[in-house]
Amino acid sequence: MFGRTAAVGGVATCLVVLTLAFAGAYAQQAQPPAVRDPTRPTVTPAPAQSSQARSPRNASYTITARLDPTSRTLTGEALLTWRNTATISATSLRFHLYYNAWRNTRSTWMREAALAGDTELTRRPEADWGWIDVTSLKLVGTSGAPVDVTSSLRFIAPDDGNLDDRTVAEVPLSVAVAPGETVNVQIAWSSRVPRTFARTGAIGNYYFLGQWFPKIGVLQDTGWNCHQFHAATEFFSDFGIYDVRLTVPNGWVVGATGTERGRRDEGDRTTTHHYYAEDVHDFAWTTSPDYVERIERFGHDGLPPVSMRLLLQPEHVRQAERHFNATRAALRYYGEWFGPYPYANVTIIDPAWQSGAEGMEYPMLFTAGTRWLAPRTVAEPEDVTVHEAGHQFWYGIVASNEFEHAWMDEGFNTFATARALEQFFGPQYYAKRYFGGYVPWVFNDFPLSRATDGSYLSSYRNAADADAQSTPTWRYWPGTAAVITYTKTALWLTTLERMLGWDTLQRILSTYFTRYAFKHPEPKDFFAVVNEVSGRDLTWFFDQVYRSSSVFDYGVDSFTSERLSDRGYFGDSGKRTFSANERSADAYRTTLVVRRGGDGIFPVNIRIRFENGQEQRWQWDGRERWKQFEVDRPVRAVSAEVDPERVLLLDVNYTNNTRSLAPKTDAAARKWSLTWLIWLQDHLLTYGFFI
Amino acid sequence: MVLLGMYALTLLVALPLSLALRSLIAAHLGDSLFADALASGTDYDWWQEFSAQASGLGTTFVPSIVGFGAVLSNLSALVDNLEMATTIGGATTAWLVLWSFLSGGVLDRYARMRPTRAPGFFAACGTHFWRFLRLGVLALLIYWVLFGLVHPWLFDDLYPWITRDMTAERAAFAVRLTCYLFFIAVLVLSNLVLDYARIRIVVEDRRSAVGALVAGARFVRRHPAALRLYLLNGACFVLLALAYALVAPGAPSGLAIWIALVVGQVYILLRHYVKLLFYASQVSFFQGRLAHAAYTAAPPVVWPDSPAAESIGNA
Repeated sequence: MFGRTAAVGGVATCLVVLTLAFAGAYAQQAQPPAVRDPTRPTVTPAPAQSSQARSPRNASYTITARLDPTSRTLTGEALLTWRNTATISATSLRFHLYYNAWRNTRSTWMREAALAGDTELTRRPEADWGWIDVTSLKLVGTSGAPVDVTSSLRFIAPDDGNLDDRTVAEVPLSVAVAPGETVNVQIAWSSRVPRTFARTGAIGNYYFLGQWFPKIGVLQDTGWNCHQFHAATEFFSDFGIYDVRLTVPNGWVVGATGTERGRRDEGDRTTTHHYYAEDVHDFAWTTSPDYVERIERFGHDGLPPVSMRLLLQPEHVRQAERHFNATRAALRYYGEWFGPYPYANVTIIDPAWQSGAEGMEYPMLFTAGTRWLAPRTVAEPEDVTVHEAGHQFWYGIVASNEFEHAWMDEGFNTFATARALEQFFGPQYYAKRYFGGYVPWVFNDFPLSRATDGSYLSSYRNAADADAQSTPTWRYWPGTAAVITYTKTALWLTTLERMLGWDTLQRILSTYFTRYAFKHPEPKDFFAVVNEVSGRDLTWFFDQVYRSSSVFDYGVDSFTSERLSDRGYFGDSGKRTFSANERSADAYRTTLVVRRGGDGIFPVNIRIRFENGQEQRWQWDGRERWKQFEVDRPVRAVSAEVDPERVLLLDVNYTNNTRSLAPKTDAAARKWSLTWLIWLQDHLLTYGFFI
Repeated sequence: MVLLGMYALTLLVALPLSLALRSLIAAHLGDSLFADALASGTDYDWWQEFSAQASGLGTTFVPSIVGFGAVLSNLSALVDNLEMATTIGGATTAWLVLWSFLSGGVLDRYARMRPTRAPGFFAACGTHFWRFLRLGVLALLIYWVLFGLVHPWLFDDLYPWITRDMTAERAAFAVRLTCYLFFIAVLVLSNLVLDYARIRIVVEDRRSAVGALVAGARFVRRHPAALRLYLLNGACFVLLALAYALVAPGAPSGLAIWIALVVGQVYILLRHYVKLLFYASQVSFFQGRLAHAAYTAAPPVVWPDSPAAESIGNA
């Protein structure tokens, strides 16, 4: 409908209403102008805010949408009230049209997914694909008729110049919106809901609708921050008020961002659900006739109460309490560590099996994800529930730019999830699923560690040098973007925790959270808080872990501890004599050579232990490629360790960090090879079935 | 003796690989302190590090081989038709060929219901091996159809097609179980027919593999009790596996390592016993239905004398 070559001109008559209501305080700013378009009677103006504004509220939407499950189409109309909070004027408006990522295989999202090896997606049947078409776009003033600018809308590809990508559209403005001014835009669209490609879509009667409406980008002082939809990134948008009416078939349960304010039977076997949310930067919803609803309350000393609404799949009803407890844990620990959850309610969605919607965060609503067979000692659904509930804090409230700095949300949250799980869930164990991935078996001999397994160190080892974390996330290699985003951040945060202590790190994170809530902070803001709160200049640390893709690998190169026994000529001139065993006193010389195998530099402790239980420690700045340490003691050394407390979690090879002079290698190798022997014998007999 | 002999065969095939793996583990550990932790327990983190650097045989050394996980891994790999590491594939093939060779002697021994001593046993092995090899080619063809055509159709085409729009996992699991049941049923029937083909070769001194296969199928069709016997034997395996699930050692330390090894080897010995139980009961069942106990068409196979002994005898 809107070809890329559509004329940009012809917009001279565009009317932009500049509302100069902008003043200093958010509370005063947040009242959206009461705008009513006579041509769109179904669009109602946003009601007055019911509480003091926490955010700039500069992108508010009043939306009506109707879902037709028969044709899997969604049509909607929105009135966007957008205020320019940047220091530059807006000469155009840019909108995300995310559903077009799944319009065909030529979109940037699909190309990147294929680049990462996910070629299955490109073979999806016809019914799976989706799209979104803007059918009308008008600028609305407080007086006069709305000005239709639909024909001037064009698709742009600011990131990669992909002429076939239609996930960002721009409409030029004849009159620029100056800083502080407001423009009202009336948008109508229709879309086909895809079978889920990336956590939004439908399967059967289950609908999860995220990134489902034309959403304005973020205007910054440097221009529009409105990226195309990339396979490895998520989202970024401004805060506002969402007043949304969703029409679905009668009897279908709806869950959405915000609070339900009412329902109306439309008389055509549909019901309209009215949801309202303040100080959020997105709106997602779900509907299905199959949901089972549960409601419980979160309450904890010093934290505001939160109503928790859980929409469960019927086959998971017995896991309701596990979902609630995990959400409670997130609200409690994140609340205590970083800052309280500011909204009165949260909706937990247990997505349908195969919906592809599991594990995704939206403001005041998130999707968890569990399995029909979910052993108690495995944190499923707890892990994903805590994680997605935790996103309410980083993604939802702090709201950094996930297109460019996804690690500031996902990484922080991965670290915090593991920490919260450790607090409330108790020990976790390795588990594996057999028989098509359905039947779980828990290996109670393999407890998992928060620091290594909770941070997914195993996935980092082979991707450590993939991309510098400072690279904008949308430019990460799609195959390893998650590792750099989630894992590396969690690992260096755990490293910081061990360097500075939890108390300091907790103060860093809570200061950062409190200071930048609802403000879209940048990496430099976080680094500044780290330096300020810790009282140390940790620029060197972030140079290593953030601004480079350095690989860390410290290890013991050689280690000996032998009785002193010098040989050769000793003494001076006439007294010079040859000795085969000079200084044969009862002393041992212990020599340790440690080596830096990777290009990453990090100060590490060195420890040597002796037979009598004593130990000798050194600190090494870790700069040279190798360093020798030597000590004479009356006892023999037994072991040497580089980074004995394992502060540096990013070390990709920790086995070589230690050396024993009485190693139990044979015992260990024998034990495990014999264990493996039983597996192999059993394997042979299993395949012996054939004869 | 048969039981111990077959157990020894499995051990002999598996042991060299186990020693090779031992070297891999030792090489990775070096003199690291991790060895202490692994000698006295487990360390999942070390295991992850080992896996990240592993190749070939090392890739099979995963945490899921511990305890009852070993049984589940193998059964799941079989019914899900998972690819196996080249080294393991080679060892499995070698073991199957060796077992196939010895199974002629084993079946002959069970058919005659009296000791045949080593020369008689190996003579029977030699006599039946080439027939079994020909039957093996047919078996290979049958199993190739099952695993190369039927399995992919069931699990890569039909199962995804049926479950594609399912939103309840338990419903999809039920479909998967149904697919398993169907596939296992076909597998069991094929296996049953091949079992009796093998038995007919031995008991009736058949030379034609095709003839034995057809005769085996005819026998199974006419005697439904053969299937019941098979299922009964199968139930023995299930019971044994369940018992092992209760006592399977995990990652012990100290003296318990050796106790764990003994428990594991007792389980392996019992698995051999169950395997031989199939042979013995099926041979006996066949003889009982078509002739009488200990019936064999051919006289006991005699190990040929050496030329020197023959000359003396002739003189």
